[in-house]
Amino acid sequence: MCAYIKKIGMNMDAIRTENLTRSFGGLKAVDHLTLEVPRGIVFGFLGPNGSGKTTTIRLLLGLLDADEGRVEVLGFDTRTKADEVRKRSGALLEFNGLYERLSAADNLDYYGRIWHMSKAERDSRIQQLLTPLELYDRRAEPIGRWSRGMKQKLAVARTLMHRPELVFLDEPTAGLDPVASAALREDLERLAMQEGVTIFLTTHNLAEAEKLCAQVGVISRGQLLAVGSPEELRSRTSAPRLYVTGKFLPQTLEQMKSNPLIKKAEQHNSRLVLDLNDMQRSHEIVTQLVQSGVQIDEVRKEKADLEDVFLNLVDEDKRGEE
Amino acid sequence: MIADIFTVAWKELREMLVQGDPRGRSRLSLFLLVIIFGVVIPLQNGRDWIDSPVSVIIWGWMPFLWVSGIVADSFAGERERHTLESLLATRLSDRAILIGKFLAALLYGCVLTWIILIVSLVTVNVTNAGGGLLLFPLPLAAGAVIFSILISGLAASIGVLVSLRAGSVRQAQQLMSIGMLVLFLPFMFLQFIPSEVRRSMVDFLTNTDPVQIAILVAIGLLILDGILTAIGMSLFQRSKLILD
Repeated sequence: MCAYIKKIGMNMDAIRTENLTRSFGGLKAVDHLTLEVPRGIVFGFLGPNGSGKTTTIRLLLGLLDADEGRVEVLGFDTRTKADEVRKRSGALLEFNGLYERLSAADNLDYYGRIWHMSKAERDSRIQQLLTPLELYDRRAEPIGRWSRGMKQKLAVARTLMHRPELVFLDEPTAGLDPVASAALREDLERLAMQEGVTIFLTTHNLAEAEKLCAQVGVISRGQLLAVGSPEELRSRTSAPRLYVTGKFLPQTLEQMKSNPLIKKAEQHNSRLVLDLNDMQRSHEIVTQLVQSGVQIDEVRKEKADLEDVFLNLVDEDKRGEE
Repeated sequence: MIADIFTVAWKELREMLVQGDPRGRSRLSLFLLVIIFGVVIPLQNGRDWIDSPVSVIIWGWMPFLWVSGIVADSFAGERERHTLESLLATRLSDRAILIGKFLAALLYGCVLTWIILIVSLVTVNVTNAGGGLLLFPLPLAAGAVIFSILISGLAASIGVLVSLRAGSVRQAQQLMSIGMLVLFLPFMFLQFIPSEVRRSMVDFLTNTDPVQIAILVAIGLLILDGILTAIGMSLFQRSKLILD
């Protein structure tokens, strides 16, 4: 499901970068990144560890200076107007940034004060944000002993406290167990839908990106490898896939690997995964398997998911480098 | 800007005093300080605690101890607990963050000193029951108040500076301890000064109006506070803090 957030009604992109580059010593953390993120969508920024995602967010927030290139966020050049960008943005960065000695309410109250919200506004906003997260009744507790999932929910709420136009979320579900992660994803989606903001999200969880994001960008070694909707990326960059379950012969895998209709073949126990060059000719492969003596229980045709797209892109990038 | 400074100071003081210390250690240590310096020592010294001009030195230096105990946490603590980057990603200006943290440490030192000052006055008066109301002489009281502000400011500006550069709270505290040692070092070397020079110094001090000396020292401290705060501001760079 693509979660399109309420359109703000402005044509301007929320984020626009041109040849954005930042190095640390000899390492190019972000390498000529050119990116456009429309307003009012959830944008997923995907990449392996150390690919430059966090550095990109820091550059977009004006927390780091670029070596080269331009960044415009919400219409402001971050070289000269980073304070304007930060005024209109919320950020949940690599760490949740919560004050563990303070209560949940005080953590939110502090950020409300920072954004000059009145006492009445802060109180009502705290209630509005914490109630659906089931944290309002525990708002007076110091959060030091809270579970990681609860803290992460609170951190997301804090990011939305001042109703920002743009929210940066750096791996918001990292380190959470699957249940907490799914719950947080739902909360995030619901909160984002209600707030109508642009969300720039980095994540390792590709299923999460597929569910949440209207557009995704894939970054590796600081370079943008692909950008588009998850659907577009799947059709643009991935081969159609055939899953065959049955009893295979010892030579079946080798036969499939040498078949010109097949791009890539893998066997996982009683399942053969075949990436095809042409989905229209899948029946030919099935016929060949049957003729070679394979007992087929099930055949399923599918497009690769975002995870496959991501792995292919990163793999191709690595091979290109080698 | 002013509202932002107070916001940062509010959070700092709230973290220091109000919450999140389930065993109440910070409140207990404050209580002990008040008992030791507001009750025990005045009881031992009696009337001298109020009359003696030497007590100005005590009232001057005590805030340095209080403030140096907590100020190391200002930036190093945020860095150690991974809250600094989120703070830097807010709309707060560099100055508001820096001055807010400085103000919190300053207020902590001053208010604690003034509370102890009042409690000690009560203690001495209670033990002197029937002997009439005892009060600090006006120059001494004024000196205590002014020097508590200036010395708290000195400790806060040194502490913020150290904390800005330190990798951890422990490192910041160690550097603060070294800083204190350096400040006290000149007094240790007094005994090595030739006796003639020492005599002329004593003559100068005894022949000069103590109020004048206090004013000169206060001006010196004020300038030092200003210089250290300015250095702190020039060293405060978001990108550098992020990468540290």
